[in-house]
Amino acid sequence: MSETVVRINNLVKRYGDLVALDHFSLEIREGEIFGLLGPNGSGKTTTINCLLSLLSFDKGEIEIFGKKMSPVCYDIKREIGVIMQNVAVFDELTVWENIDYFCGLYIRDKAQRKQYVEEAVRFVGLEDFLKFRPKKLSGGLLRRLNIACGIAHKPKLIILDEPTVAVDPQSRNRILEGIQSLNRNGATVIYTSHYMEEVEQICTRIAIMDKGKKIAEGTKDELKRMIRNTETVTVEMLELPEDVRTELAALPHVYDTAFDGKTLTVSCSGGKHNLIRILGVLQNHELSFGRVYSELPTLNDVFLEITGTALRDKEE
Amino acid sequence: MFLHCLKYELKTSLRARDLIIWLILFPIVLGTLFKVAFGSIYEKNTLFRSIPAAVVETAENPYFRAAADAVSAGNDALFSLTYTDEQTALGLLKNKEISGILYAGDTVSLTVGGSGIQQSILKSFVEQYGISEAVIRKAAEQNPETLPAVTKALSAEITACTRVPLTDGNTDPFIQYFYNLIAMVAIFGSVTGLHIAIDYQANLSLLGARRSCASVPTAVSRTAAILGSWLTQAVCMVICVSYLAFVLKIDFGSRLPQVYLAAVLGGCMGVAMGFFIGSIGKLSQNAKVGIAMTVSMTCCFLSGLMIGNMKAILAEKVPWVNAVNPVAVISDSFYCLNLYSDYRRFTVKIITMLILTAAFTVLGIILSGRKKYASI
Repeated sequence: MSETVVRINNLVKRYGDLVALDHFSLEIREGEIFGLLGPNGSGKTTTINCLLSLLSFDKGEIEIFGKKMSPVCYDIKREIGVIMQNVAVFDELTVWENIDYFCGLYIRDKAQRKQYVEEAVRFVGLEDFLKFRPKKLSGGLLRRLNIACGIAHKPKLIILDEPTVAVDPQSRNRILEGIQSLNRNGATVIYTSHYMEEVEQICTRIAIMDKGKKIAEGTKDELKRMIRNTETVTVEMLELPEDVRTELAALPHVYDTAFDGKTLTVSCSGGKHNLIRILGVLQNHELSFGRVYSELPTLNDVFLEITGTALRDKEE
Repeated sequence: MFLHCLKYELKTSLRARDLIIWLILFPIVLGTLFKVAFGSIYEKNTLFRSIPAAVVETAENPYFRAAADAVSAGNDALFSLTYTDEQTALGLLKNKEISGILYAGDTVSLTVGGSGIQQSILKSFVEQYGISEAVIRKAAEQNPETLPAVTKALSAEITACTRVPLTDGNTDPFIQYFYNLIAMVAIFGSVTGLHIAIDYQANLSLLGARRSCASVPTAVSRTAAILGSWLTQAVCMVICVSYLAFVLKIDFGSRLPQVYLAAVLGGCMGVAMGFFIGSIGKLSQNAKVGIAMTVSMTCCFLSGLMIGNMKAILAEKVPWVNAVNPVAVISDSFYCLNLYSDYRRFTVKIITMLILTAAFTVLGIILSGRKKYASI
C-alpha cells in the first residue's frame, strides 16, 4: 500500500462564530491526484492554508510526510510546491527572474537551480517570454508563470488551489495536462476546485466539502455509486398527459419524473435499456418530442443528492 | 540563500517605479524648484558683494589712491572701483551701475545716487579716510618721528569684541530647505520599509503567503530584504545629495563626506521606521501605507519643510519633539555640520539616528515575527 503523504485529523477552524472547518479529516496517499471539491466558501482554501501552517487552527492535527507540520518545518516545506488561487509574482522581475527567485528559496546550488528553472520554463511553455515582465503577459500566461514558480524546485507534494480560475479553455487544458504530467513524474497532487468537470477529469480520489465538512470521499466511481441515480433521461417536449407520466413512473428502475412544460426529466436507478423503454412509452401514446439526452451521473448529482443543493447553485 | 534574497531585493527595489519617482525624481524636481525660488533671493538680498563706485581724480592724491587700491583688492574687496572722468561717472551713477562717485583731490568727497547700505558704507569710508588723513598729516607736520607709530595705531582694529567664527559653512538661511529636502527623501524610505513588512506577512500579501511556504526561514529572507532596502535607499540618498551639491551647486560647506554619511544613515532610519509601522497590528495594507505617509509628512512638517521656523517654535515650546522627530534629527545633523567647527553635536545626531534605526528594526522584527495567522 502507498505511503500516506498528508494526514489531517479532526481539524477545527473557527473565524469568530463561523465554523470554517468542522472536525475535518483526510488522508492522501503517495502518487494520488487528490481533489478537494466544493462550492466557494466550503473550506477548501482554509484547509490548504492550515496544511501549509499559514493559518492557526483551533483543534486537530496535521502530518505531512509522517511528521507533524509546523511553520518552522523547513525540511517538509522543501518538498512542497504551492500554487495559490491568485497569481503571486513580482511585477518588477522578468519571467525567468521570477521563477529563479522562487526556485532559489528552495534550491541552493546555482547550477542545479538553473537546470530546474529551464525545465520549469519548458514545462509551462514560456520559452518565448523569458524576458517579459508579468504585466506584459496574458491571463493564461500569467497563470502558467504562477505554476512554474510553484513547481520549479521539483516538490514531492504539489498543492494547487483553484489554479484555473479565470483561465481560457486552451490554457486550462494545458494546466490540467501539466498537472497529470507532474503526477506521472512522481509528485503527489492536491487539487482544489469548484469545477467538477476538472476534478472528474484529473483526480484519482476526491473529497467533497460543504460548510467545512467532508460530506463524501472516494474515487469518482465510488462517489457515484453512493447515490441512487445511475442515469438521467431528458426529453424535450411540449405536452405530457398525466396518465403518460404515471406510466413512465411505473417503469422498472425509474424512481423520479419531472415535467416543467418544456422538458421531461426521468431519473433512473440501475438497470439497462431505460432510454428505449421511456421512448417506447412516448411513442405508444403518439407524443411528439424533440432532442433526447441520456446522461450518467456527475459529481454535481452526487453533491445534489447528498446536500439537496446543486454545486453550481452554491457558486452564485 | 541570504545572498539570493538580497540580490532579488535589490533588483526589485531598483526597478520599482514608485521608488524611482519618489526617491530620485521628486527630490531632483523639488531641489531644482528650491534653487530657482531661493537661490536668487539670497544672492541679491543677503550675500555681500563688492560695492561698485567710480573715482574721479580732481588732483593728484597718492595717499587716497593707495587707500582705495587697498580696499578694492583681493577676493573679499570692499569696493569695485572704476577710475574715470566726471562725465562718465555721472552717467554710470544715473544708470545705477555704481553706488557712488568718489572725488579725490586735496580733499575727498562723495556723491551718491540714493540711500542704502552701500551708500552708507561709502560715506563711512570717506569719513574714516578724512579722519585718518588729518591725523597722519598733523603728525607728519608736528612730530615726524611719531609717524610710524601713528600709522600703526590707525591701522590696528580697536574693538572690545573678538570675532570667533564657528565654522566656514554656508550662512544662507535658505539652506535649511535643502536640509529638509534631504531629510524628507530619507524619511520617504519608510515606504520601502513598509513594503518589506507587508510583503513578508502572509495575511497582508500574496507574496507574503508564498514566501511563508518556502523553505527559507522568513528571518533570513526578511533580513536580506531590510539590508537590500538600506542599500537601495543609500544609493538614492547619494544621488540626491550629489545632485544638490554638484549640479545645483548648493554649498554644504567643507564637510561633504559627512553630509553623505548623515544622509545615508537618515535613509536607513526612514526604512527602519517604515518597517516598524508596517509590522504593527493587524491593519490592512492600505491603512498601513496611509499611516506611514501621515507620519512621514507630519515629521517633515514639524521639522520645518512647510513652515521654515517650525523647528524653532518647537524648540522653544516642546523641545523634546525635535529630539525624537527623525526628520528633525536628520536636518539638525546637517545644521551641526554647517554651523559648528567641532563634531560633538553632529556625533550626537548620528548616534541618535543609529539608536532610532536599531530600535525601529528590532521592534519591527519582534512584531512581525509571528508564524501563523488567525485569518488570511
